[in-house]
Amino acid sequence: MRASEALSILAKHRGEAAVVCALGMAANEWWAATASEDTFYMHGAMGFAASFALGLALAKPDLPVWVINADGSLCMNLGCLLTEAQQAPKNLRHFLVDNGVYQTVGAVPMINRGRTDYAAMAQAAGIGRTATVSDTASLEAALPSILAGDGPVFANLRVEPDPSHRAIPPMPYEGPEMKYRFGRALERRLGITVFGPQGY
Amino acid sequence: MDVNDAIHDQLRKAGVTLAATLPDDWVAPLIGRIDKDPEIRHVPVAREAEAIAICSGAFFGGVRAAAVMGATGLLTCTGELATLNLRHQIPVFIVASRRGSIDDHRIYQEVQGRRTLAVLDAYDFPYHVVERAEDLDCIPDAYETCRLQKRPFVLFLARKLVKGRAP
Repeated sequence: MRASEALSILAKHRGEAAVVCALGMAANEWWAATASEDTFYMHGAMGFAASFALGLALAKPDLPVWVINADGSLCMNLGCLLTEAQQAPKNLRHFLVDNGVYQTVGAVPMINRGRTDYAAMAQAAGIGRTATVSDTASLEAALPSILAGDGPVFANLRVEPDPSHRAIPPMPYEGPEMKYRFGRALERRLGITVFGPQGY
Repeated sequence: MDVNDAIHDQLRKAGVTLAATLPDDWVAPLIGRIDKDPEIRHVPVAREAEAIAICSGAFFGGVRAAAVMGATGLLTCTGELATLNLRHQIPVFIVASRRGSIDDHRIYQEVQGRRTLAVLDAYDFPYHVVERAEDLDCIPDAYETCRLQKRPFVLFLARKLVKGRAP
């Protein structure tokens, strides 16, 4: 399964979920698949998309929140699994795009590649619902269950590294513009106030 | 009123309803107060930068959040503060111990004392050191300044405020 195929399948099942993408390959592929504005595409803070998504999920417990994480990012902040397990947000789905490489720097192999079972790590951290899928048919079949019921759910999407080193364009918004696009999208959708009357 | 109760009270006045925390011994009593408050969602974390990202995500849910940590933990967050909060202009309000001050006689805190404010100055992150209990009512103003400046703001708690005078 290619990352682009996995994320295109996720996009079809997204529904009303607000999405947070780890920087790099996952964000670029999600942008290519959805051009979604109510997605927050991390520009930095590698490893902390899951924590950002957890904060949003806790702030808006009725809003479905997805984080599209990547294996390189998760490994920079494995402690997020403990925090996620302890907080147990029912509205959070944690998808891991696991290609075994640092894709955007030239598909450099990940540490401990081929030996790490991320779903088992999430399970051991205390996230009760986990899944691992490696092909598109399995992902299509598993998604209804992943999206049903209470979260958190951790789903490891094992995808092939992309040997073409193709440059997938990132979303074209600079940091502050993305902040306002994402925040304004949530204000419109949820009727909440993110920014004050003077815009900050 | 106990000083930690007073800090907690001022955070409530600032509208804080979510706090992500990792203690050092100076802020641990404050975190204990937060943990007992049913009106504040308490999120203990495994690393301080998690607290930064959690508060940043909560911002987009319209929730006022605070990250509570020690000064050593604050220094570990500088990369995330720069590439998440500075890059995207996301405000995050941080309450941190002012370790390494002249009355903090701990050798393993001396670098924090000498370099933390210089690091914050280099990033142009605003901060304010509270030394006296009667000044704690600055917290709601500090929170508004954080929002207005759209960047990290560090409210430091001095030793004599939270630990009393050094022996």
